[in-house]
Amino acid sequence: MVYQSPAGARDLLPLDVAQKRWIEERLQQVFHRWGYHRIITSTLEHLDTLMAGGAVQRSQLIQLQSDEGEIGLRPELTASIARTAVTRMAGALYPQRLYYNANVFRRASSTHHNQQQEFYQAGVELLGAQGWLADAEILLLLAECMQELSLNNWCLILGEAGIARSLLSTFPANLREQVRYAIAHLDRITLETLPLSREECDRALMMLDLRGHPADVLQKIASLDLETPQAEALHRLKSLIALLNECFPVSSSQSTTSSPIILDLSLIQTFDYYTGIVFKVVSNTTYPARIIGQGGRYDQLLGLYHPQAETVSGIGFSLNIEDLHQVLLPSQQLPHATPTSNWLVIPETPQAYTAAFAYAAKLRASQHLVRVEMDLGDSDPDTIREYARHRRIQQIAWIKSEGLPSIESITSTKSLLSPSQ
Amino acid sequence: MLTVALPKGALLKDSISLLQSVGLDFSAFLDSANRQLQIQDPTGKAQALLVRTHDVPVYVEYGQAQLGIAGYDVIREKKPQVAHLIDLGYGRCRMSVAVKASSPYRSAVELPTNSRVASKFVHCAREYFDSIDLPVEIVPLYGSVELGPITGMSEAIVDLVSTGRTLRENGLIEIEILYESTARLIAHPLSYRLNTDNLSEVIEKIRSHILAAV
Repeated sequence: MVYQSPAGARDLLPLDVAQKRWIEERLQQVFHRWGYHRIITSTLEHLDTLMAGGAVQRSQLIQLQSDEGEIGLRPELTASIARTAVTRMAGALYPQRLYYNANVFRRASSTHHNQQQEFYQAGVELLGAQGWLADAEILLLLAECMQELSLNNWCLILGEAGIARSLLSTFPANLREQVRYAIAHLDRITLETLPLSREECDRALMMLDLRGHPADVLQKIASLDLETPQAEALHRLKSLIALLNECFPVSSSQSTTSSPIILDLSLIQTFDYYTGIVFKVVSNTTYPARIIGQGGRYDQLLGLYHPQAETVSGIGFSLNIEDLHQVLLPSQQLPHATPTSNWLVIPETPQAYTAAFAYAAKLRASQHLVRVEMDLGDSDPDTIREYARHRRIQQIAWIKSEGLPSIESITSTKSLLSPSQ
Repeated sequence: MLTVALPKGALLKDSISLLQSVGLDFSAFLDSANRQLQIQDPTGKAQALLVRTHDVPVYVEYGQAQLGIAGYDVIREKKPQVAHLIDLGYGRCRMSVAVKASSPYRSAVELPTNSRVASKFVHCAREYFDSIDLPVEIVPLYGSVELGPITGMSEAIVDLVSTGRTLRENGLIEIEILYESTARLIAHPLSYRLNTDNLSEVIEKIRSHILAAV
């Protein structure tokens, strides 16, 4: 019998892990620099918790058998963090700056055979901070993550769920959900065939293509009939974009013709989850372009988990580690090999075992990381040298019966390759 | 480079002449000597992929083609995550339920419960019979679906009908129309949002051409 992993599952071998860690460590450094603290929540949650926000459907979840009611594997982290924030961290001082680096699970759709089901995400949640200054913090933090990964060719598709919702509210109630669904799915044909008045249809089509250079789009939105809260939301959006344009790292606007922000009011969801800005992070490095992260403001979500329905505002984003990995692979930045050992220690006789372990321990006790391997077999010296050369181990220590080391340097046959490792 | 996925078969000729009218020439696909599946427009502005009609939404969904032309029947069957931009008007046909002319059934609800229905459009057939609350067994076939009722394997079929000639010549009659289908212009959603390769310009040209033709 051959034991295989389930469809859509994936094992990460040491080199995969080294590359994944390279990405995660850089992101983590940025999160730390901005004063965020790591939170680890449970992989398992009640289905009710996972679906409370309305953004997650049962069909997307991997459910587990349990005596404890319906439980499943988390498809994202925000629900878990919202739950824990209002229950376990009650009375905490806000704002709370939290980050995570975790695996998430999504059930493969029936039409995609063998689609991946386990993914890794790194992200942040900024809880208890309203206002566009918090929005700016999140987007600038995101930009710094991109910079830290030397990802220059990226852009942000930025929407505003509050303004979009108010524009939608002008459509007849019986058709509003259909209009919203069609706009969210860029379905112009449906918009043209819905029984809307000429003027309503034009407005729906205008919304569908309300995207582009922020200044142009802001101007178009300003020309629409907005109620006071939306006019205020527009004002906040303007301030946010002005600040981002000044603060975004220069490298991200390397595509000289356009700013890295595409303002897109058709970027909406078919559920009321986001309440303010909503965004997708897109890498243009690969062809076709790829979404490497997403996020937004969710000021009502925490209230759903609070026993007295008291809500706390929140905003965050998550980056898709697999997508980042794919985008970064051609750039040659990721490690090409797992780290090599610095030393190979070989006890020449059984009497030398104790001394060999002691010598290896001495080498490892260095202030900087020193990787020391023990030779475990009865190989002859030439085989051992060949092994060391193959593994690019540069120094080997032969330990004699009386415990004295004899040190030998191994020159790699592929000496051209070794310095860069 | 702008890449368009074009469907082999019935929609190809009209699709190529539509793109010609907006300045993109892929007529080399119509040359019977051509065996290439990927060709460039002579101006070097764009390229086209020649794929099976059911595969057009796949190339567009994954973004290997930013634009594609596919029948509504295929789009409805596969429900791809693509932007639905323009009803191109040609390739008009309908998705219908048909039975042997000699059978007693004259509407879908008259079919006996648990009867067999052969179709290439499995999801569509399933959705329709669910909507009229009639439990049937769907038999997936890849072609010559008319043989289902002729050989007695199935009571009915769900298939595309354009003129109705194939049905008539095989002794079948249409008893129900599920929906009308035409060719559609679809786009990769992310490329559409980013306006990759100035996609919007090509789309607008196609739209004006279609509007002018009406």
